[in-house]
Amino acid sequence: MSVLMAVVGKDLQLAWRNRAGWLSAMAFATIAVLTYSFAFDLATGDVRPLLPGVLWTTFLFAGVFAAGQSFQDEVDDGTFDALLLSPVDPTVIFIGKLVANLIALLIIEFAQLILATILFDVGLLTPQLLGIVLIGTIGYVSLTTLLATMGGHVRGRSVLMPVLALPLLIPLLIGAVRATGASLGLEAGTGPWMLLLMVFAAWSTLAAVLLFPTAVEQ
Amino acid sequence: MSALATLLARVYEWRWVVLPPVAGVAMMAMIVGALVAAPREIIEGEVQRLMYLHVPSAVTMYAAFGFTAFASVMFLWKRDMRWDAAARGSAVVGVFLCGMVLATGAIWGKPIWGVYWSWDARLTTTLILFLIYSAYLLARSVAGPLDEQAARFAAIFAIIGVADIPIIQMSVRWWRTLHPQPIVFQTNPALPGEMLIVLLIGFIAIFALATWLISLQTDTERAAQRVHALRAEVDHREIA
Repeated sequence: MSVLMAVVGKDLQLAWRNRAGWLSAMAFATIAVLTYSFAFDLATGDVRPLLPGVLWTTFLFAGVFAAGQSFQDEVDDGTFDALLLSPVDPTVIFIGKLVANLIALLIIEFAQLILATILFDVGLLTPQLLGIVLIGTIGYVSLTTLLATMGGHVRGRSVLMPVLALPLLIPLLIGAVRATGASLGLEAGTGPWMLLLMVFAAWSTLAAVLLFPTAVEQ
Repeated sequence: MSALATLLARVYEWRWVVLPPVAGVAMMAMIVGALVAAPREIIEGEVQRLMYLHVPSAVTMYAAFGFTAFASVMFLWKRDMRWDAAARGSAVVGVFLCGMVLATGAIWGKPIWGVYWSWDARLTTTLILFLIYSAYLLARSVAGPLDEQAARFAAIFAIIGVADIPIIQMSVRWWRTLHPQPIVFQTNPALPGEMLIVLLIGFIAIFALATWLISLQTDTERAAQRVHALRAEVDHREIA
C-alpha cells in the first residue's frame, strides 16, 4: 500500500512538473468547446441537445491527447525502464499512472463543465452529472493509459493513439452521451446508460490492469 | 501434445494441394448457382443474389477475427513469432471480408431500404469491427516484422478488441432500440431448398478461399520475418 502511495505521489509530482503538457490538453479542450459553440450556435437556437455530444467528444479527444504525452518524459529520459527494473509490481506502476492521469483529467473536465455552464447557459454542475463524468473518465482513462504505454516508442504515435483508442471507446461514448442527455432532461432514464458506463469502466480497468504487465515486459 | 502438433503440421503441409482446387471449384459453383441456378426472389428481385456472397463473408469474417484473437493469445503465451504472423495474416483477410460485407450490404440496401447505410445495430457493430481491426493492422505495421515488442502490443490490442465486441454489441443495440428499427431484420423468411443449397456452396467457397488467403498471407509474413532476420545477420557479419 505504501508502495502504491509512493508511486502515485511520484506520478502526481511528474504530472505537476509536466504542467505544460497538461495545460496544453486543457487549452485543447477549451478551444474544442469554444469551436463547437461557434459552430453549433449558428446552426440552431437550442444547443442543449448537442451539449452531451460536445462535452464527451471534447473529453475523449483531450483524454487521448493527454494520455499520449503522460509517459513521454519518462520514456525519453529512460526512467520508465528503470522503474520497471525496480522491485515494484508493474500493476502498482500502472495504477499510479492511472490515478495521476485520472486526477489531472478530472480537473480539466471540471473546468470544461464550468466553461460550458457559462457558455451554453445550462446547469451542468449537478451531482448526477459529476458522477457520470467520474465513471466515464475512469472508463476511458484506463484504456488510453494502457495504449499510451504501448505506443511510447512508436513514431507517429500522436496519430496512432486516437485511431487505436476511439473505436474501442465507442460503447463508452454512447453510454456517456446518453446518460448525460438523460441527466439534462433531454430523454428519459439514466439507469441503463449508467449500467453500461459502469460495466465498461469495470471491464476496461480490469483488462488494462491485467494486460499491463505483459505490455511492459522486457 | 507434440503428436497433435505434428499432425496439424502435416495437415498444414497439404494446403497447397487441397485449398486452391476446393476454393476454385466452389467459387465457380457459387457464382453459377447464385446467378443462374437460384430462383429469383419475388419481392427483392435480382439484388437478393448478393446474399450468397454477403452472408458467408460475414460468418467467415467472424471466424477470421476469432482466429486473430486466438493466435494473439497463443503468441503472448508461447512468444513464437509464427503466431504473430498468423494473427496478422488472419486479420488482413478478416478486414478484407469485412469490407466486402459492408460493400455488398450497402449495394443491397439502396434498392431495398432506399439508403446505402442505416445506423442499425448490426451494421454499426460491423463498421466498428472494421475500424478496430484496421487499427490493429496499422499499429502492427508501424514496426518491423521481427519487432517482438510491437507484436506483443498488437496482440494485446487484438485481445482487447475482441473482448470489447460484446460491450459494443450491447451498447449499439440499446442505442438503436430507442430508434425505429428496419423491418427487414424482423422478418425471418424461411429459405427455399435451392437457395439454401447455393448458400451452403457459398459458405464452402468463401471459407476455403479465406483459409487459403490466410495461409498465403501468413506465409508472406513469415517470409518477411525471415528476410529481416537474414538482413540483420548480413549487417552483423559485414560489421564484424
